[in-house]
Amino acid sequence: MKKIIVACGGAVATSTVAADAIRELCAREGIAAEVVQTRIIEIENSLDGVDLVVTTMKITPDFDVPYVNGMPFLTGINKEATEKKILSYIKD
Amino acid sequence: MDFVLEIVQYFVNLGPAVMLPIVIFIVALCLGQSFGKSVKSGISIGIGFVGIGLVIGLMLNNLAPAAKAMSQNFGISMSLIDIGWPGSSPMTWASRIALVAIPVAIVVNIIMLLLKLTRVVNIDIWNIWHFAFTGAIVDIATGSYTLGIAAVAVHAAFAYKIGDWFAPVTEEYFGLEGIAMPHGTTGWFAPISVFVDGILDKIPFIRDIDINPKHLKNRFGLLFDPAIMGGIMGVIIGILAGYDVQKILSLGIQMAAVIVLMPVVVKYIMGGLIPVSEVARTKLQKKFKDSKFYIGLDCALLLGDPVVVTASLLFIPITILIAAIVPGNQILPFGDLPTIGFFIAMAVGVHKGNLFRTLITGSIVMFMTIWISNQMINFQTVLAANAGQLTNAADKVASLDQGGSPVTYIITQILNMTNVTGFAVIGGFYLLCVICTVIWSKKQYKALSNK
Repeated sequence: MKKIIVACGGAVATSTVAADAIRELCAREGIAAEVVQTRIIEIENSLDGVDLVVTTMKITPDFDVPYVNGMPFLTGINKEATEKKILSYIKD
Repeated sequence: MDFVLEIVQYFVNLGPAVMLPIVIFIVALCLGQSFGKSVKSGISIGIGFVGIGLVIGLMLNNLAPAAKAMSQNFGISMSLIDIGWPGSSPMTWASRIALVAIPVAIVVNIIMLLLKLTRVVNIDIWNIWHFAFTGAIVDIATGSYTLGIAAVAVHAAFAYKIGDWFAPVTEEYFGLEGIAMPHGTTGWFAPISVFVDGILDKIPFIRDIDINPKHLKNRFGLLFDPAIMGGIMGVIIGILAGYDVQKILSLGIQMAAVIVLMPVVVKYIMGGLIPVSEVARTKLQKKFKDSKFYIGLDCALLLGDPVVVTASLLFIPITILIAAIVPGNQILPFGDLPTIGFFIAMAVGVHKGNLFRTLITGSIVMFMTIWISNQMINFQTVLAANAGQLTNAADKVASLDQGGSPVTYIITQILNMTNVTGFAVIGGFYLLCVICTVIWSKKQYKALSNK
């Protein structure tokens, strides 16, 4: 079971779009994953056991967990490349 | 119009937790989503409404009495709890304006694009609720559905212009190329930061102050966690309310629960809107895919900037202090505190990461917001009651976001003048800021194209 955090400003709008897309991606690829939405300010206190962090905005990560910028899920631009990058971190 | 209104009213009378699922189910089917997905979207939005009802109930039953007791103990007037945008947006989606607001906002966008009045292609369907809020308040204030819809159109048009004006900042400071923020919260106050910047540039010494810290967050990171912040606020309010230890501790947990659960339940409403926003996004992008256009997105994207994060942290106590000094203020800031960054994010960009200037702009913005949201209490209470969120007739609600927006306030006052002085002061000041912004923005575009 992989654990993925998807974070945005308020844990409501943009992270829901990205989380939805990532859940679909995992289902398609047959990966068992738990996708959790948080606010960006909560990331650092929620990193236990997390395999990947995705944010819908640009951040400079100051944590050790793998990180992917999920903005392409909002704009639709470079979505496939982002999906590939995510898979590279969570596929065994 | 009457016929349309009757149909809309029938659906609204079903209550939002039933009406919106049906509507979203039908809309999703019409937009070509599968049957299963459409059903799930519909039910998801219903879950969101039931959930937010529970959370607001928890707040009104436990936190509101504590705030009242605290106010009485200290002879202050802050007895209403700010429900924030997580509370306001569901009420707005439940109003009879909201369903029509989405197509209206999209049509206004397309017309403006075709007439070359904007370069922003707005695909941020969720935040249409800000425009819908203005429409719903106008509808309540004037009793006119038509005026309500017109208000949605005006607010939407203004927000797209804001997106245009500040796109250079989005690109230069935040590094988001080709993206604009036609957003209800981060949008409206941005002109104020331009005005403040212009004034400060003219004052010797002060113009040279530049605080640009990036590491405050790490030192206070734990306090910034909404759960811990909610708990601490609950305990402090419990103590000030004169509660005994047991009640103080319960209040701490309840307040933490409210602040953590709010986005958890509201995201189901967003989840229900995904099919609509997906289709709107692909269709709009296909039609306007030139590089001349900006993609309009949620300003949540700005909240990752380190200075924005630091300023958001500082504005939690500052906002509470400002609330204590705004004359006649009845609202205790709460629901908006974890995302107070929405109020100041663009200001950070305009001030180029200068925290000192951001603090000045932010303080003006929060003062204005709190004053205006007090003027909106009665309207917002009707909005909440219409959405079935109030179980007790004596309850009142207020929110900083979007109840405190001058755009909503100015439009409502123009159509239903109740406070001439307030309108003149807020309207005059805001107009001045917008004029400064238009001039400033031209310079920004020029500087950008020279590069």
